[in-house]
Amino acid sequence: MEPLHIQQTSSTPLIQFNTGTGTLHISGESYPENSFDFFEPVISWLKIAVTECNELSLDIAITYMNSSSTKCTFDIIDILEEAFERGVKTSIVWRYDRENPRSYEMAEDFRDEVTFPFEIEAIEL
Amino acid sequence: MDLYDLRNEFDKSGMMMCFNGPFSHSIIEETGKAMRNHLVAENISQAAVLDVFAVYIELAQNVRNYIAVRAISPLEAMSSIIAIARQGEKYAVSSGNMVLNTDGEALLKRVNEVNSMTPEEQKRHYRELLRRDIAPGALGAGLGFLEIAKRTTEKLVSSIRPVDDTYSFFTLTAYI
Repeated sequence: MEPLHIQQTSSTPLIQFNTGTGTLHISGESYPENSFDFFEPVISWLKIAVTECNELSLDIAITYMNSSSTKCTFDIIDILEEAFERGVKTSIVWRYDRENPRSYEMAEDFRDEVTFPFEIEAIEL
Repeated sequence: MDLYDLRNEFDKSGMMMCFNGPFSHSIIEETGKAMRNHLVAENISQAAVLDVFAVYIELAQNVRNYIAVRAISPLEAMSSIIAIARQGEKYAVSSGNMVLNTDGEALLKRVNEVNSMTPEEQKRHYRELLRRDIAPGALGAGLGFLEIAKRTTEKLVSSIRPVDDTYSFFTLTAYI
């Protein structure tokens, strides 16, 4: 599988695939200048990745995202759902900030969209 | 230039921060950071700080995207304003920018549409839009006003003022 590593900035998250564990990590805040351009390489990478592996998990800890990043995150989760329906073992651990009730609500909303394992855990500081 | 009168106007409206001029991503980012630091110093909850920040980001990025998509001239783009004011127990976050006369009505209609929905309807509509494909070249997912509404308990307040044959000035305020 192709490596994937995007450095974190103040308005874009760190995005990194750990080949050892088969986990895609996304963390930080997300309100890029152009969310669709920013997430495009991640979405293209993921579409191929789910055809090349039997198992892929997403570990996400985004404390704030703007509405267009929410749309991109939805698309990422949708790709995982489709892969799950084709037999790939996909899963998500969504880490929320205890101080911020909206990050938990958002996790719940996303969990309602999928049929694969989706855990919601508080970020340990 | 004597800024005293301007300062008095700011004082009357409880202005905390205001930026007027063409928005770039770095200006949006830096102003946002400054605003967050300011709010954290006011001793409000982290969730409230994030709500004000989120509304600010949606408004500022809406203005920037509108100006890019509609190719608004640099001269007109100079009128773009974003402001955060303290009004009693609430924060008022406002954006103002030049829009084409032909877009004015549609913008007001969209704000009214969002205002007339119950929180459940807003949530359902948000989900529908998430499922929709993004048009090529679009800079947003059309979620901005709904995202703002999600973070406020009051109705959005919008107005439009005719400027000339081509442009009107559109203002949108959310109270958090």
